[in-house]
Amino acid sequence: MSEPILRAEGLTRRFGDFTAVDRLDLAIEPGTLFAFLGGNGSGKSTTIRMLIGLLTPTEGRIELDGIDVLREPRRVRDRIGYMGQKVSLYQGLTLRENVEFYAGLYGLEGGRLAERWGEVRERMALAEAENERVEDLPAGIRQRSGLALATLHGPRLLFLDEPTAGVDVDSRGLFWERIQEEAERGVTVFVTTHFLEETDYCDRVAFIDAGRLVVDTTPEELRARYSEGYRIAATPPPERAAATLAALERAGFAVVERGPALALRRATLDHAALAALAEAAAMGAELHVEPASMNGIFTRLILENASAREAA
Amino acid sequence: MSARRLLTLLRREVRATLRDPFTVAVLILVPLVALLSFSFVLSTEVEDLSLGVLDASGSYESRRIVAELEADGSFVPRPYATRAELEAALVSGEISAAIVFPPDFQRALLARAPGQPPPEVQLLYDGAETVLAGNAEGFLQGLINAAGAELVGPEAARGGVVVEMRALFNETLDGTPFMVAGTFGFVLSFLTTLITAVAIVNEKIGGTFDQLQLTPATNLEIFLGKLLPLGGMFAFDVVLMMFASGFVLGVWPRGNALFFVAVSSFYVMTSLALGLFFSATSATAAEAVQKTVFASIPLVQLSGFAFPIRNMPMAIQWLTEVLPATHYIRISRAIYLRGAGPLDLLPELGALTVFAVLLVGGSLRSLARRP
Amino acid sequence: MSAARQSGAGRAGDPRPRRISNVLALAWREAGLMRHDPTFLAVVFAQPIMMLLLLGFALSNEPANVPLAVLDRSATAASRRLVEEVVATGYFLPPRPVSGYAEGRKLLEGGDAVAFLVIPDDFARDALGGAARVQVLLDGADPLSAARVGGILRSVAAQFDPSGRAVAARREDAPRPARGAFDLRKRFWFNPTLADRDFFLAGIAGMLLTNLCLSVTALGLVAERENGTFEQTLSLPTRPLEIVIGKILPYIGVSYLVLGIATFGSGLLFGIWPAGSWLALLVLTLPFVCASLAIGVLVSALARTSAQAVFITVFFILPSMILSGVLLPYQLMPDGAREVGAILPLRWYQIGLRRIVSRGGGLEEVWLPFLALCAIFAALLLLIRWRLKPRLA
Repeated sequence: MSEPILRAEGLTRRFGDFTAVDRLDLAIEPGTLFAFLGGNGSGKSTTIRMLIGLLTPTEGRIELDGIDVLREPRRVRDRIGYMGQKVSLYQGLTLRENVEFYAGLYGLEGGRLAERWGEVRERMALAEAENERVEDLPAGIRQRSGLALATLHGPRLLFLDEPTAGVDVDSRGLFWERIQEEAERGVTVFVTTHFLEETDYCDRVAFIDAGRLVVDTTPEELRARYSEGYRIAATPPPERAAATLAALERAGFAVVERGPALALRRATLDHAALAALAEAAAMGAELHVEPASMNGIFTRLILENASAREAA
Repeated sequence: MSARRLLTLLRREVRATLRDPFTVAVLILVPLVALLSFSFVLSTEVEDLSLGVLDASGSYESRRIVAELEADGSFVPRPYATRAELEAALVSGEISAAIVFPPDFQRALLARAPGQPPPEVQLLYDGAETVLAGNAEGFLQGLINAAGAELVGPEAARGGVVVEMRALFNETLDGTPFMVAGTFGFVLSFLTTLITAVAIVNEKIGGTFDQLQLTPATNLEIFLGKLLPLGGMFAFDVVLMMFASGFVLGVWPRGNALFFVAVSSFYVMTSLALGLFFSATSATAAEAVQKTVFASIPLVQLSGFAFPIRNMPMAIQWLTEVLPATHYIRISRAIYLRGAGPLDLLPELGALTVFAVLLVGGSLRSLARRP
Repeated sequence: MSAARQSGAGRAGDPRPRRISNVLALAWREAGLMRHDPTFLAVVFAQPIMMLLLLGFALSNEPANVPLAVLDRSATAASRRLVEEVVATGYFLPPRPVSGYAEGRKLLEGGDAVAFLVIPDDFARDALGGAARVQVLLDGADPLSAARVGGILRSVAAQFDPSGRAVAARREDAPRPARGAFDLRKRFWFNPTLADRDFFLAGIAGMLLTNLCLSVTALGLVAERENGTFEQTLSLPTRPLEIVIGKILPYIGVSYLVLGIATFGSGLLFGIWPAGSWLALLVLTLPFVCASLAIGVLVSALARTSAQAVFITVFFILPSMILSGVLLPYQLMPDGAREVGAILPLRWYQIGLRRIVSRGGGLEEVWLPFLALCAIFAALLLLIRWRLKPRLA
């Protein structure tokens, strides 16, 4: 367990009577791909704006890479990269000119810039779009450009605020691959999103509702704790039906429906479960595995939070 | 404060602006159009004014007078037969002034017994058009008296005290240089504030503002990076307008041109800061514009640009001293029309400096304040 | 939504009522939006009041508080009386006596005096002989004021009677001793004191409505287009023309409201009520408002971003104010400029306004401005149709 690179303690923000963020605590280790979820009005955007220093918290501490953000906001700027909901590219300039502009502000120029940009451009597949005016760029390229700009100066922390909003489903997957690459290279990535399925790309998931942190754990843990687990539809060949059923039950699968097609449930798919499924497949069964829907999980979480608030 | 970062910011701003044809057009055309249209509005002249004539005497003398009025070019006489028709013409706006000769005009004029009053000539003016009527009155009176002196001889026409009048700086009392100097004030107050407000609001909406704040660039650098290019462009406008008014209108500053450009550029910073204020509190460009326009209307009107401050009630005159535009327009007119130099204008320059410090300081603070 | 509804034809054999009800529905919605827009409300209520105060109290072409320098070399009763009569006109501040020509000239050059009156030492003697002369130096750097002040001084001098009889001051109809070839009696019709306030306030409705109709429609429509709500409106089963009319309708109502504020404001605050037919006023306002709104719609069609709309609008309003004659007389402008102003709706409206409000005219007097406004409106509609068609198709 290494020292957290992002630490928030008791983070609170009030607007008059309304509490947007309520005593939030976070500790994120370096290299984590951290998903921060919440609906509209949950306090998600307020939180990220406080973390990067665009908004002053009413109470609480924030520490990024060992630096107290409230006391020395400017010191962190070199170490963080940000991509907002509206990708901030300047109209009237080409992508290359935008890159030169932002890089210049970070002191990245000349040969070093050429090298660095060469790398990033390659990774993000932006070579063709480099000399286009930003107004002419399609949405997918624009998103990748935003990510490129955010990582250009080699920050240790990346903050991405709903980076895939407005991107079509196919491009989203590709985009997440880029994000995961960053995390693999040791960058800590803090992502907000409201696409629930995207949590599966991440190492950790936190969920905020009505200003409070409701859960902060791994996606698997989330599924294990809050869902009915995986749903498996198995259609074994009639002559092996009984044997298949027995094998699966032995491995801990709960049977929901019996018949020519079996409906089974299991909280997690561990080694034993996977072995059992392999066996069933080898016996000729048709298998269909579905992970628990995140939707259902979050609905439960929201309901739980609401009743917890009422009780308080 | 890093010169390198500032340069980066400046380069981007200038590049993006120069590539936007609309902005370039606005920056060049608007000051020129304003200059050319405003310079013509103030006039003490009268030309081709419809003058209704009700001549009950039908005498040679009365006709001669009317002929002289027509010959002068200021008035276009139109005869009417009855008083009622004359009055109707005034109401409908067909005529702007009228002259009425009594039936016994000739006799009263030429065969006047000593002690008898001279003939009464009525002059009616369309008071609905105040400036026109005011100008017309001056001209008409002068022309008629001159015509009268010719008819009855200078002896009989003499009376009162004769005034020898001369105007310093502007013999013909031509309104053009006055308005040209004032137009600088108008453009540099209104246009600059408006453009700045819109530019900054657009940046805020675009999200680039947030991104900028997260870079190592300091607030001062961001501020200057936005304002210096704008200031530069407006300074260019000052020079452009100066040459335009010189070559097209024949109006050059009587004083030092470099001094004028320097002071104007300084004033531009003040207007820019004001624009920043308006944009800081607006969420959309439309809102920023409405605020700017709403505030600018009284600002411009009270600054002495078109209507003299001296004519205003004393309480309002004190109020106008609080507007930076007032002081700039005074300076502008002093340099253009009176040839004043820096020493003559110390109090005004001082006032302008105070405003600049307050506004620029205030807007820096508003920029620095994190919400 | 079926195709039939989309064409706006409605039920078979029933096209008209559906169109009208669509328009009304849109208008109603637009009115609702207006009520909650604080900037809009500021323009509608706060601006008229501000303009009333500004134009009624502050702005004036009539000289006041004029600084006057006097060099009285004669120092006799006669010369002192001349100065008194000048001061009695009420336009001047207490005169500043100077001891030498250079001093007075310096005051003029520094802008500390507008006029410098020099009375020669043999003034009293010459005056008795009927040949008195004085010298007046004016500050040409302020030509309009200088011209007015010069005129005032001339007229005081012309009426000056060295023997001291009948100091008439400014009463035009007071009996004056016979002097000069004529006895000129002047009268200012409709505005006896020739107060600038009457001139400005007669046109104030025009200024306010121009600002309202132009800026608010143009900015509003473009903002909607940027937000995307305009596209949403377009997707409703109505025709584009109906949409535009539906949007404009509430503004016509608001315009009459503003007209009311301006008229009652002038009347209650300054006692300036329309001297002529109120009906004519209401009738004349309609084509003017329609034309101004049409310009706003046209601007919104031409502008691609709201920043562009802003500038086009503002820089259309400005020349409107100058060239139309609402603040300064258009008759005095050079030839080209005067004609150009004739295409502005505000020009015709202010001509009509002055005929009704100041001169007491009625419908017969304003038929020409009315027709001109209708013609301008028709021309604009054609322009809009031409411009908007490909966009909305």
